[in-house]
Amino acid sequence: MNITAFTFKKSLVPGLLLVILVALVTLPIYGSLYNVILVTSILMYANLTVSWVLFSGSTGYMSLATAAFFGIGIYASALFLPTTGAVFPVLVVVLIGGLASSLVALGVGALTLRLRGIYFAIFTFVLVVLIMELGIWWELSVSHLLGRYVILVDNNVIFYTMLGIFVLVMLTTFFIRRSKFGLAMRSIGENEEAASHIGINVTMVKVITFAISAFFMGATGAIWATKLTYVDPHVAFNVLFSFMPVLMAIFGGMGNIYGPVIGAALFAYLQETLQTEFPEIYMISFGFILVAVILYLPNGVLGLIQKLWKRISGGKRAHT
Amino acid sequence: MWKKIRKFIIPLSICLILMLTAVVGCAEEEPAPAPAPAPAPEPAAPIKDSIVIGASRPLTGAQAPIGDAALGPMMQLWEQKVNADGGIYVEEYGKKLPIEFLIYDDATDVGTMVRLTEKLILEDKVDILFSSCGTSFISAQAPIANKYGMVLITAEGGAVTMRDSLPGLPYTFVSLSFSDHYELPVFADMCAAEGAKTAYIISIADLHGVEYGGVGNMEFARVGIEVIANKSVPITYTDFSLLVKEAKAANPDVFCVFAYPPIVLPVTGEMMALGFNPPAVIMGPGANFGFYGVSFGGDPAVVEGVSCFATANKDTSPAFAEHFTALEELVGWPNSDWWGTPLYAPIMDIWVEAIEATGTLDQDVIRDYIATHHFDTILGDTWFEMFGDGGGLMAKETHTGEIGQWQNGTMEIVGGGDWPATVLTSDWIYPKPDWPTP
Repeated sequence: MNITAFTFKKSLVPGLLLVILVALVTLPIYGSLYNVILVTSILMYANLTVSWVLFSGSTGYMSLATAAFFGIGIYASALFLPTTGAVFPVLVVVLIGGLASSLVALGVGALTLRLRGIYFAIFTFVLVVLIMELGIWWELSVSHLLGRYVILVDNNVIFYTMLGIFVLVMLTTFFIRRSKFGLAMRSIGENEEAASHIGINVTMVKVITFAISAFFMGATGAIWATKLTYVDPHVAFNVLFSFMPVLMAIFGGMGNIYGPVIGAALFAYLQETLQTEFPEIYMISFGFILVAVILYLPNGVLGLIQKLWKRISGGKRAHT
Repeated sequence: MWKKIRKFIIPLSICLILMLTAVVGCAEEEPAPAPAPAPAPEPAAPIKDSIVIGASRPLTGAQAPIGDAALGPMMQLWEQKVNADGGIYVEEYGKKLPIEFLIYDDATDVGTMVRLTEKLILEDKVDILFSSCGTSFISAQAPIANKYGMVLITAEGGAVTMRDSLPGLPYTFVSLSFSDHYELPVFADMCAAEGAKTAYIISIADLHGVEYGGVGNMEFARVGIEVIANKSVPITYTDFSLLVKEAKAANPDVFCVFAYPPIVLPVTGEMMALGFNPPAVIMGPGANFGFYGVSFGGDPAVVEGVSCFATANKDTSPAFAEHFTALEELVGWPNSDWWGTPLYAPIMDIWVEAIEATGTLDQDVIRDYIATHHFDTILGDTWFEMFGDGGGLMAKETHTGEIGQWQNGTMEIVGGGDWPATVLTSDWIYPKPDWPTP
C-alpha cells in the first residue's frame, strides 16, 4: 500500500475542513459586513438542512416539521428577548429555543413516530400548521399581542452563534453516524422491522434522534429571530422552512454529511444571486436547476463532485 | 513523478484556488487610491452621477397585488417626474442628480425582505431606502433601517404597535393612516350619526386584523354601537359561505371585514350570492383599490355603497386630479389606491425638499430636517407628529379623508376628521343600496 497516498487521502478532508473553519472564523476580520450577513444566512440554512438529514436522512422518515421547531426557537427569542428588555442573555435564549423545540419533538415523536411513510410526512406538515394556529389563538385570546419585536443583536454575535451551532450540529452528526446509535438509525432506515427483530428499540432511537435534530433547529430559530426583529406566528412558522431543507439536501446529496452543507451553501448563494441579479427569471431558473439536479444528479452536487474526482484520479480517490 | 504531482499538486491547487476565490469574493472592496490633490484653489465636489433609491418589494407572492396598485406605480411616476426636471439638486455634489431605483423582489417573505434590505444598505450602498409592503414587513424593516441609520418613510402599512415602537426608531416616519389614526373613530361616528345599533366584525388573524378588530370594538362601544360578533379568521381560510350566513342571521346594522383582497373579494361575492345587504359595509384593504370595483362582472356599479378606507380622489383637489390621472395613464386603467397613494404621494416631495434644503444625502441631517419641518405637498401642509427623539407619524390633521364609498362606479370620499384639511367629495349613502339582482 502506498503510505503517502493513504496519508494524503486521510488528511485531505480534515485539512480542508480546518481551512474552511479558519476562513469562517476569521470572516468578520477580512470580509465585508454584508458577506458576514450572507454567510450567516447560508449557515442558517446549513444548520436546518444538516439537522433535517440527521433524522430524515438516516431513518428514512420524511419530516416536514422543520418550520415548527424553527418557529418555536424564533418565539423563544420573541418571548425572552423583547425590545422592552431582554430577560436572559442571547446564548441562554438560544439554548432555551433548542430545548423547547427538543421537548416538543420528544412529546410529538413519542406519540407519532409509529406512523410511517406518507402519513408521517403529512402529520409533520400538519404539526407546523397546528402550532402556528395555536400561536395565533394564544396571541389573539391570551396575550392580545400578535406582533412582537425582538432586540437587535450585533451581526458578528449572530454570525458566531450561527457558526457555533453549525459546528455542533456537524460534530453531533459525525459522531452519531460513527456510533452504535447511528448504526441503529441506519438499520431503521433500511428495514425497520428487521431492526426491531434484532433488538433495537426503534421507537426510542427515532424519538431521540428527532429531538436532537429539533434542538438544533430551535437553536437556529432563536438566533435567527434577532435578525428578523419582528415576529408573528405567520413569520415564525413559515412552511417554506419545512421544504427548503429537503430541497437543499436533495440538491447537495445526502450520501454523507458534507452533501447537505454543499447543497445549503450553493442553494442559498444561487437564491441570493438569482434573486438580485436576475429577478425576472429567478423562480423559472431555480425551478429548472432543481429539476435538472433531481433528473440528472440523483446523488446531488456532491455525487457529481465525487464522480468527477473519481474520473480525475482514475478511480482511486473516490470518497463514497 | 507525474503521478506524485497529480496526487498532491492538483488537489492542493484546487484548494488554494477555492480559498483565494472565497477570500477575494468576500473581501471588502478596497477604495480606489485617492487622486493627487488638484491645484485648483477650491476643493472639487465629489463625483456622483445619480441618487440610487433601493427598495425590497413584493413583486411576487401574496402582497404583490397591493404593491402593484400602491407604491409600485408611484415609484415609476416619481422616476419619470423627478428626472424630467433634471433630478434633485444636491449642493454637496454641486449639481442636479437624476434618481434611479434598485428594486429587489422579496417574494412576500419577511426573512428575504430583511436580508435584501441589509444588502441594499450595506452592499449596494443606496442613497435612499424606500419602504417594503405590509404592516408586518415595515415592522421588521424599521429596526433594520434604524440600526444602520437610514431614514425610512414607510408606505403600505401602519399599526398601533408600530406607533408604540416609534419612540425607539428615530429614523422611521410612518405615512399611512390606520385603525385609530384616524379611520375607525371617524367611521364609528358616521355609523352612530345614522342610528346604527349593532356591528358585526370579521377580521383576519394577523397584525392588521387583530388591530382593526380591537380598535373596532373600542370605537363602536364609544359611540354606543353593540358589537354582536368579532370573528377572527385564519389567513388560509377559503370558504366564506358559512361565515356570511352567520353574519346574515345576526342581522347587523354595520358589517366590517378587516382583511386583505383574497378574503375581501370572496366575502363580497358571498354577500351578493346570499343577499346579505346590511345598511353599512366596510372592507379593507381591498375595497379601496380600483380592481375591487371591476372584480364582479366588470361593472363597478355592482359594489355601489360599499365603504372602505380612503383619503382622496380626483375631486379632492386639482393636484389629486393630476395625481390619479397620471397613475391611471401609467397603469392603463383606473386601478387606483384611494387610501394609500394620496398619503404616499408626499414621500418624494419630502425627500426632494429635505435633500435640496440641506444640500446633502447625509441621513442624519435629512432625518433631523424631516423631523423638524413642515412640507408643502399634494396634501397641503404636511408634517410628522414626532415621538420625542424617536420617529414620526404623519399627523392626522394632514389627512384629507378617512372613509370612502363606491358611488356611481367610482370612489367618493365620504368621511374625514374634524380638521381643515378634510375634503369630502360626497355624502355617505346610508343605508347601502341593495346588491343588483343577477
